Amino acid sequence: MMLHLSYFIAGWIFLWGLYGIVTSKNLVHQVVCLAVLQTSTYVLLLTVGYKVGGTAPVFADIPVGTPVVDPLVQALMLTDIVVEATVAALLLSMVVKSNELANTVDPEELRILTG
Amino acid sequence: MTTLIPLPVAIPLIVAAFLALVGHWAGRRFCDTLSIATAGATVWASATILHGVWLQPVTYWFGNWWPRPNDVVLGICFRIDAIGAVIALLVSVLTTAGLVFSWRIFEETENHFQPLMLIFMAAMCGFSYTGDLFNLFVFFELMSVAAFALCGLKTLEPAPLQGAYNFAIVNTVGGFMIVLGIGLLYARTGALNFAQIGRSLGTHGDALVILSFLLISVGFMGKAAIVPFHFWLADAHAVAPSPVCVLFSGVMVELGVYAVARMYWSMFHSALAMHTDALRNVFMVLGGITCLVGGFMCFANHHLKRLLAFSTISHEGLMLAGMGLLTAKGLAGFVLYALSHGVIKGGLFLCAGIVLHRLERIGEDHLHGRGRHMWPTALLFVLGAWGLAGCWPFGTLLGESMISEDAVAQHQHWVPYMFIFVEAITAGAVMRVFFRVFLGWGERAPTDEASKVEEKPETEEHEHTPVMMLLPAAALILLGISITAVPGVRSAAEVNAERFVDQSGYAQDVLNNAQTATPEPKPEEPLRSSIVRTGIAGVLALGLALGTVFRRRVGRVMEFTRSLELGNSLLRRLHSGHPGDYVAWLSAGTALVGGSLMWLLR
Repeated sequence: MMLHLSYFIAGWIFLWGLYGIVTSKNLVHQVVCLAVLQTSTYVLLLTVGYKVGGTAPVFADIPVGTPVVDPLVQALMLTDIVVEATVAALLLSMVVKSNELANTVDPEELRILTG
Repeated sequence: MTTLIPLPVAIPLIVAAFLALVGHWAGRRFCDTLSIATAGATVWASATILHGVWLQPVTYWFGNWWPRPNDVVLGICFRIDAIGAVIALLVSVLTTAGLVFSWRIFEETENHFQPLMLIFMAAMCGFSYTGDLFNLFVFFELMSVAAFALCGLKTLEPAPLQGAYNFAIVNTVGGFMIVLGIGLLYARTGALNFAQIGRSLGTHGDALVILSFLLISVGFMGKAAIVPFHFWLADAHAVAPSPVCVLFSGVMVELGVYAVARMYWSMFHSALAMHTDALRNVFMVLGGITCLVGGFMCFANHHLKRLLAFSTISHEGLMLAGMGLLTAKGLAGFVLYALSHGVIKGGLFLCAGIVLHRLERIGEDHLHGRGRHMWPTALLFVLGAWGLAGCWPFGTLLGESMISEDAVAQHQHWVPYMFIFVEAITAGAVMRVFFRVFLGWGERAPTDEASKVEEKPETEEHEHTPVMMLLPAAALILLGISITAVPGVRSAAEVNAERFVDQSGYAQDVLNNAQTATPEPKPEEPLRSSIVRTGIAGVLALGLALGTVFRRRVGRVMEFTRSLELGNSLLRRLHSGHPGDYVAWLSAGTALVGGSLMWLLR
């Protein structure tokens, strides 16, 4: 039951992230909303790899055969974090540039290309 | 040959790191030469790989982690078949052309243009080679991040920042949908290898499988600029440097459709086999809407690059329709169409780059009649329009014939007409530009919001067109013709597509190393009816362009071209340039596609 709840939470966070991006009036806020949206993938991956009663998958001091959580999802999550950090850094640098050039961080005012 | 397999990914990455490190001291020409040499070497490597996998696909397990019998797959593999290999070849050819073209642009080395191009190329090659789901996602993100940076390269103007920002936001949301889909698939199967996931899913297609298929395919269709996920594309293409546009339009968006095909045929096909007709209808509707929106917006735009960008969207709809037939023949048609369209559109973007270099403007109204003395560029431009119309002898004809014939066989009788519409309206728009800009015919074009946006010229000198710019453009257009000259190319494409769509054969090959028999080549049907159809499209395009240019002289018959050229104001307003709106459309589109999948596949 608890596990089902966390799948639900992943979807919930994803939708709130989407809502934030769609309604945002500030580019910095929008990038943070993207980061919020991304945390839903962490929740999902953690849930997928979780095992009731499992311990950390480090076999240095536990006997082989002990139930452990899935180490693979952690590798996936790490990659996911790296991706998000890169994208967020790039986006934020664009926001800084746009503030310098156009003197605004409002996506509404930055609309140059339309139609 | 096997030892070559990691090279198209490894070498460009290593050289990119080296160039980023020493580029500042080594000077501009050193960076140019080294990057062109690297891209050239990648062309050679990917061509050799294509030759090696032509008859039999090859699976390459990194670190020799091949799957032990009756055990789970732990290693990561590249699984290369002719279709993936030929797309990687297209990637490297277009990158080489773009790098040669850039010999004369970007005077300063500060902007890391060459390393980014090499990373972009490596990621796209890896994307088309890989046989592992998470590996695919990593390459997807690597190519996306390189693309965002390349798009916003001209950081001294606000328009590129807006284009790159919108591009990044929409594509990243799509990327996270893909991660969610991958997570769900991993939860169900415990595997990340395409073949093993496909085998574990078996024929059991429940709600979770449909949901993960939805998330993954929507993420990739966002990359493929399928309406309503397409809004970022026009903004990004309008502002990216011309050599970058070549890669965006020529191969990056096509990779989105390729990825949907790869996912479907290697993992989901058996699980969703009962629902093939319903799925086909969903893809067909999406493709058809994309053709219409892209076509009308293409004709209504007067910013040269933005016009070409909308034409890409329109042709992307045709490609999705070809792939979405969910048959081997449709897939083969998609591959041939993507290859020829990629080189032709690349050539056209390079011509737009030459125009920007020589005349320092990109809006059709400002350029009126100013290209009269640029006859080599003009010639290439009109040849490109000819290629977009799919007329003989361009390779687009081959794709058109395969997709149209197969669509009729699958009772999708509107597809040949849609081809004529897209070819006529996009080629008509490009010819209209040719008449007005290069011949100075007719009256000045009306202006629109986007064509008022100034773009700083990418270059300093304007006396003549440098050979380094003309050469790659001409080479790409000629490649578009030479595809037709390859003997038996349609039959070879179909044989390889047969193998691509054989899910159990794929799994046998990857997991058990059991090679499958080569499918029997089918005789090629005559191209006659296709030549007639595209001929009609070409004549319509010419008529449309002439009618638009000489509207006043022709009189009332051609008055409809005015409204066609001004565009639908609602459609224009939808392309609002606001990232929030674009993400809202992405969510709404996902909900719509998801809803119809759930309803159709219940």
